[in-house]
Amino acid sequence: MTPTRLYLSNDTSARAAGADRLARAWEGTADLELVRTSSRGAFFLEPLVERDTPEGRVGWPTAAPADLRRILAGEGGVPVSQIPFLAQQTRVTFANFGQTQPLSAEEYVAHGGGEGLDRARALSPEAIIEELKVSGLRGRGGAAFPVWNKWQVARKTQADRKYVVANADEGDAGTYCDRMIMEGEPFRLLEGMLICALAIGADAGYIYCRQEYPAAVQALQAAIEEAEEDGMFDLKGGHFHLEVSVGAGSYVCGEETALLESLEGRRGVVRAKPPYPAVSGLYGRPTIVSNVLTFATVPSILARGGKWYATMGTERSRGTVVLQIGGRVKQPGLVEVPFGMTLQEVLDRFGSGPAPGARFKAVQVGGPLGSLFPASRLGIRICYDAFAEAGAILGHGGIVVYDDETDMVELARHFMAFAADESCGKCTPCRVGSVRGREILERIQAGHGGPGDLELLADLGETMKAASLCALGGRAPYPVLTAIEHFGNEFRR
Amino acid sequence: MNEKSSLNLNLDLSLILQRCRPRDPKPADVLQTLLAVQDGLGHVPPEAIPEIARALEVTEADVAGVLTYYPDLRTRPTGRHLVRVCTGESCVANHCDRVLTALRKKLGINLNETTPDGRFTLERVYCVGNCAVSPTVIVDEQVHGRVTESDIASLLKDCR
Repeated sequence: MTPTRLYLSNDTSARAAGADRLARAWEGTADLELVRTSSRGAFFLEPLVERDTPEGRVGWPTAAPADLRRILAGEGGVPVSQIPFLAQQTRVTFANFGQTQPLSAEEYVAHGGGEGLDRARALSPEAIIEELKVSGLRGRGGAAFPVWNKWQVARKTQADRKYVVANADEGDAGTYCDRMIMEGEPFRLLEGMLICALAIGADAGYIYCRQEYPAAVQALQAAIEEAEEDGMFDLKGGHFHLEVSVGAGSYVCGEETALLESLEGRRGVVRAKPPYPAVSGLYGRPTIVSNVLTFATVPSILARGGKWYATMGTERSRGTVVLQIGGRVKQPGLVEVPFGMTLQEVLDRFGSGPAPGARFKAVQVGGPLGSLFPASRLGIRICYDAFAEAGAILGHGGIVVYDDETDMVELARHFMAFAADESCGKCTPCRVGSVRGREILERIQAGHGGPGDLELLADLGETMKAASLCALGGRAPYPVLTAIEHFGNEFRR
Repeated sequence: MNEKSSLNLNLDLSLILQRCRPRDPKPADVLQTLLAVQDGLGHVPPEAIPEIARALEVTEADVAGVLTYYPDLRTRPTGRHLVRVCTGESCVANHCDRVLTALRKKLGINLNETTPDGRFTLERVYCVGNCAVSPTVIVDEQVHGRVTESDIASLLKDCR
């Protein structure tokens, strides 16, 4: 009898939700083939068990070991294509997630993987860069700089060697799309880096991955080994040498120049720019440092054309945005949609409102340096310009919802303490300001806040914004000041 | 530390450092060297700084500077089991403070401390990417999600 094939994710979050417990419980069951795949990113449904049917995949959400009988009998499953959380998305970079085995090169290719690199191999470096220019792709790590422009600068800079570096530090809490890519479809990251190497003329690269992602590191190393054997790293006239370098717990090493310092083995202290890494980066050579998601977006653009990619999104934010919803929502998970939806729409359609028993208080977008939005400000459009105008950032697409049991003073203290802990120490306004800011908030927390404290925080904030070398010091005041702006009464104890 | 274990430490350290010496064109990488030492010995003993500096042909200040900069580099050994509570924003939003309080009570120690019997060390970690299945507690290498106070006992029960 042909065994029944069931699909179950081995993504870290799927496993944290109980996927391995299912695998262990069902191990040794006769006529059962359990295939571990990437996750669809609908984590509120994990552990999600799927099987093939003539009409497509059918799934059993939040499955328990005892559900095996009815799953094998085909009872009570839901067609995956009808799950609203997934059906309403425009999956481009995450199109294959939930379907393929992460380390299977065959499955990657069968699902269109490698087409972008194949096309790039036949193009001139200028033509590759032109495709990116037409696409309008802006960096997805937070800075949102036009990708084509960076590659152009690196291409034009003369040097004995050049580097491609993937920023896999993904330090913003609330974000996990890079982790999913590295664990779930590592070949896509490699493909994007190789396309970049062809465009700029690099023959070596690194993936700087946070040590907090051990599964991602393992998957990357296995994928690189496989790709080596398959000849993926044989580029025009040369061989691309790629290594994974593991970080050591420093948030600021997600900033590109601090990352380069760390990659060179030193303290992860921010460098002044100029020179920009594209001109003088790793070991002083032209280096493209881009985020994992940015590289992972490149293959589709080469395969399907920049023009196609630019049909999605808004005028100055082209393509799809990858959001990661977390915190006190009913449906936490990964959402890929065109730029332009409002924050309210995203929270309603995908997050599906607050978690059971919770009441919405505020949402933070863009990680620990992101601004807080109360219920009255959710009409903002998710695109780079709208956020910049509002003094906010999209960052890495993290969206965290806080409920009304959250103490805003404690939250503000947490944000400032974070900045103080993670500051590289180079700039006095950040190094000292974050500590003083934390102290003021601790005083307020202890009931010893005095008149002028909030004005002092605002003034301190202005100095940090104006005089910090990087976005850590520059953005640290925003979560605190937006907390005070929207929940001022909690601070006037 | 008695003389015999001190000698073993030196031997292990020398072996690790041999692999990390700068080799043209690759310059000395202080961070990766310290991570290798920690991997081999469990932590980086401060008394090892001079030998590491000599092997890498850098100053002791260079080594100490990197050792004190990165949160993951530790200068003291940990207990047999490392229990880490995530304090990233999604976990904070899902009230990980309650889980942390429960753990401190159960283990009888504060953050960055080890239980007297050497069994557990309790630490914070800032984000392991499990935000959509938070709160998160990592026991050794195992990531646990949707953790509540009532889960604490079962998380720790298999750790000897």
